Amino acid sequence: MRTLIRRILDRLFTSVAGLSVLLMSAALVLVLGPILWRGATAVVFQGTVEFRRMQLYEFGRGDAEAVKAEVAQATQARAPVYQMLDEFSEGILVEKLSDRAKDINRSFDDQVAHRVDAGTISSEEGRRLGRAARKLRRTLLDAYDTDDKDEALELLDEVLSSPARKDLKNTVAESLFKQAGKYKRIVESVDLTQRDTYAESLREVSDILRELFGPRREDRAADLAEVRYGVTRADQAARVLDRLLWTEKWVPVEPGKPLVKKRTPRAERFQGTPIAGLFSTVERDLDKMLRPETTVYWRFFTDNSTTGHFFGGVGPEVVGTLMLTALAMAIAVPIGVVTAAYLVECTKDTLVVRILRTCINTLAGVPSIVFGLFGLAFFVLWALPGLDLAHGSSVLAGGLTLALLVLPIIIRSSEEAIRAVPQSYKEASLALGAGGLRTFLTVTLPAALPGVLTGVILSMSRAAGETAPILFTAAVAVGPWPGSLLKPCRTLSYASYDMAVGDRVAQRVPHNQFGMILALVLLVLILNVAAILIRSRISRKLRGG
Amino acid sequence: MNATLTENETVTEETTPIPAEETSSVGQVIPAVQARAVHVSAAPRAASTADEPTAPPVIRSHEFSLLYGSKVGVRGITMDIYPQSVTAIIGPSGCGKSTFLRSINRMNDLVPNTRAEGRLEVNGQNVYDRRTHLVNLRQQVGMVFQRPNPFPKSIYDNIAYGPRLQGIRGRGALDGIVERCLRDAALWDEVKDDLKKSALALSGGQQQRLCIARALATEPKVLLMDEPCSALDPVATARIEELIAKLRDTYTIVIVTHNMQQAARVSSRTAFFCLGILIECGLTRDIFTNPREKQTEDYITGRFG
Repeated sequence: MRTLIRRILDRLFTSVAGLSVLLMSAALVLVLGPILWRGATAVVFQGTVEFRRMQLYEFGRGDAEAVKAEVAQATQARAPVYQMLDEFSEGILVEKLSDRAKDINRSFDDQVAHRVDAGTISSEEGRRLGRAARKLRRTLLDAYDTDDKDEALELLDEVLSSPARKDLKNTVAESLFKQAGKYKRIVESVDLTQRDTYAESLREVSDILRELFGPRREDRAADLAEVRYGVTRADQAARVLDRLLWTEKWVPVEPGKPLVKKRTPRAERFQGTPIAGLFSTVERDLDKMLRPETTVYWRFFTDNSTTGHFFGGVGPEVVGTLMLTALAMAIAVPIGVVTAAYLVECTKDTLVVRILRTCINTLAGVPSIVFGLFGLAFFVLWALPGLDLAHGSSVLAGGLTLALLVLPIIIRSSEEAIRAVPQSYKEASLALGAGGLRTFLTVTLPAALPGVLTGVILSMSRAAGETAPILFTAAVAVGPWPGSLLKPCRTLSYASYDMAVGDRVAQRVPHNQFGMILALVLLVLILNVAAILIRSRISRKLRGG
Repeated sequence: MNATLTENETVTEETTPIPAEETSSVGQVIPAVQARAVHVSAAPRAASTADEPTAPPVIRSHEFSLLYGSKVGVRGITMDIYPQSVTAIIGPSGCGKSTFLRSINRMNDLVPNTRAEGRLEVNGQNVYDRRTHLVNLRQQVGMVFQRPNPFPKSIYDNIAYGPRLQGIRGRGALDGIVERCLRDAALWDEVKDDLKKSALALSGGQQQRLCIARALATEPKVLLMDEPCSALDPVATARIEELIAKLRDTYTIVIVTHNMQQAARVSSRTAFFCLGILIECGLTRDIFTNPREKQTEDYITGRFG
């Protein structure tokens, strides 16, 4: 009976172990999978012609001739859309029309005056023509102003059938008739009472089109890079296209129940107008207008970024993280190993030493924000300004704070590693006449190296990814390439946080957020793998390989 | 071993060196071991006095005691160890043999709370004197431990460790020392092709010979061996014993062993410890054939311990 129970327990143990391995692997896949997958979209994606244009003008990369040719082709494809838009907006935005009419009149007056001076026509004739033109203008403006379709049509017909038409042929004023004709067409198809709403909707459409294709005239002087270009990625384009084609409104469906989001096609609003076809055209020919192609943007990891991480990569952040990690390790590892050596070799197990060890172990569990605040108070506000090194955040302060954070881990693991070195090595070395320090440096420490390296690996990952300690001491959201130890720097962890709680701009580039996280994960992975390889090499040599 | 001998006769033992190919199978080895000839030759009285020490002792202890806190390790040890000979220390477990041995080169300092009383001199210099230079002492008195403990480095670096401590850096000089020590330890032929190989890749017996070679590298006067063969198989043990026989003309060897036969085979003088006290010390053949104390006789005949 007892054998049976033992066998059952054995099986149970094996299955629990297997289950936990499965669970860990699943957790790893579930956590890392999306990060790697979506982060990869920051590097591999369908880039549009706007992307290539942006790379050319912002980063100086790419074949200028090819880009210009592409831009020309895209512009050509977009032309019908803009044409429709222009026509309609001209019809709707009556202030513009009125202004234009006034301008035409003014230049006509100039033309008449010119001709009178030149003697082509008599001043009498000139005055008559001027009066006629002014009358036409007034009628036209009235037509523009009225909301009543019939009245407008009447006024327009009056303009169009004016007897002065043939007199004003071949003059500037002829455009007045053209305007009238155009406006008539619009009036026939459009509900004039809706003019204001049309204007607003038109503005919306125009804004979305600018977001999609970029400004119509190249505006390189605009402050924000994101304004200078259209969508750079096909997935972004799909989202913007969706906003173009559909409007969303919260409508009450049942009384007392929460509102429901209702989607209506935007084209409905412009039904019957010349612009109705714009939407289907854009939807149909978007590929020709944006020319997406598969892009592998390796430089994501080395490029600087434009404001708000809208375009570009995470280069400065990567450098900043590496700098901070390297500095933290350079400070913590020597101090930690020496401390561990002292605790193992030179101290007896007295009460003081036991208290000290408890303090170190407790520090290993202190929340990182406490270290951050300590770093702020001690390094940023007191020590570094006191030494006149840096006033404010600096890489030095951040590195010191991170070093304090990882020091307990290194001390603890190094202590274990040094303690685990067989006493026989030490005895053999001493018996040969080596002193204590010599024995430690040439025999004990090399034998303890794999354990020490394990602590270093764990600490490196922690130092690279921690945000709280550098929040107040070293990290800054906007800044140049990290260079000086005495200035703050941009880091991957802080920038990820900043983007996540940032404004709407960050929400428009989720791929950059994921890409930043991917960069951090890859960085830590590479550091770890390198250190593990080194450690296994050393281990093998120690074991007799 | 149990034959009774007269004082005129000396026991010399010839051991035929075991050819390497025979060590591969145990069945072939045992006859080789048994083939050792034990010659009993009648020697004139003058030669027997050669067994009596003529040179002054290298190691002298006078009422030496070592205490671990309040526990007694050894108490009141008074004995001499003579040069160019092998002295064996035998006794049951826990009788203080290793304690005494480790006191000679002050390895007991590694244990906390030890206190020494009395005198223990090596070459006239009191070992437990405050002014004793430990590094010098340990370079003069080498030690081989119970379990082979080569450093996790290459064979070359293991042996060169001691000389490097002494400041010898030249590649040529170190090469020479390494070769000499490996030849002395009868290990050269087996490892000469790859001195960079890790020492941990050697077999147990080879590792112990490496440790002996390592101890010889600092050219010590005295070689302390703390049960060097207890972790080895009989074949390796036999090779170590050969080695000891080869070395005894050059070095002063003190060997602690719980194996009485081994003590009888290799040593010329033997000391018998029991419960921290030196019971008897004298010529090996006297101890084993004609012990003075009853305790010694009881131990040798196996009546206790």
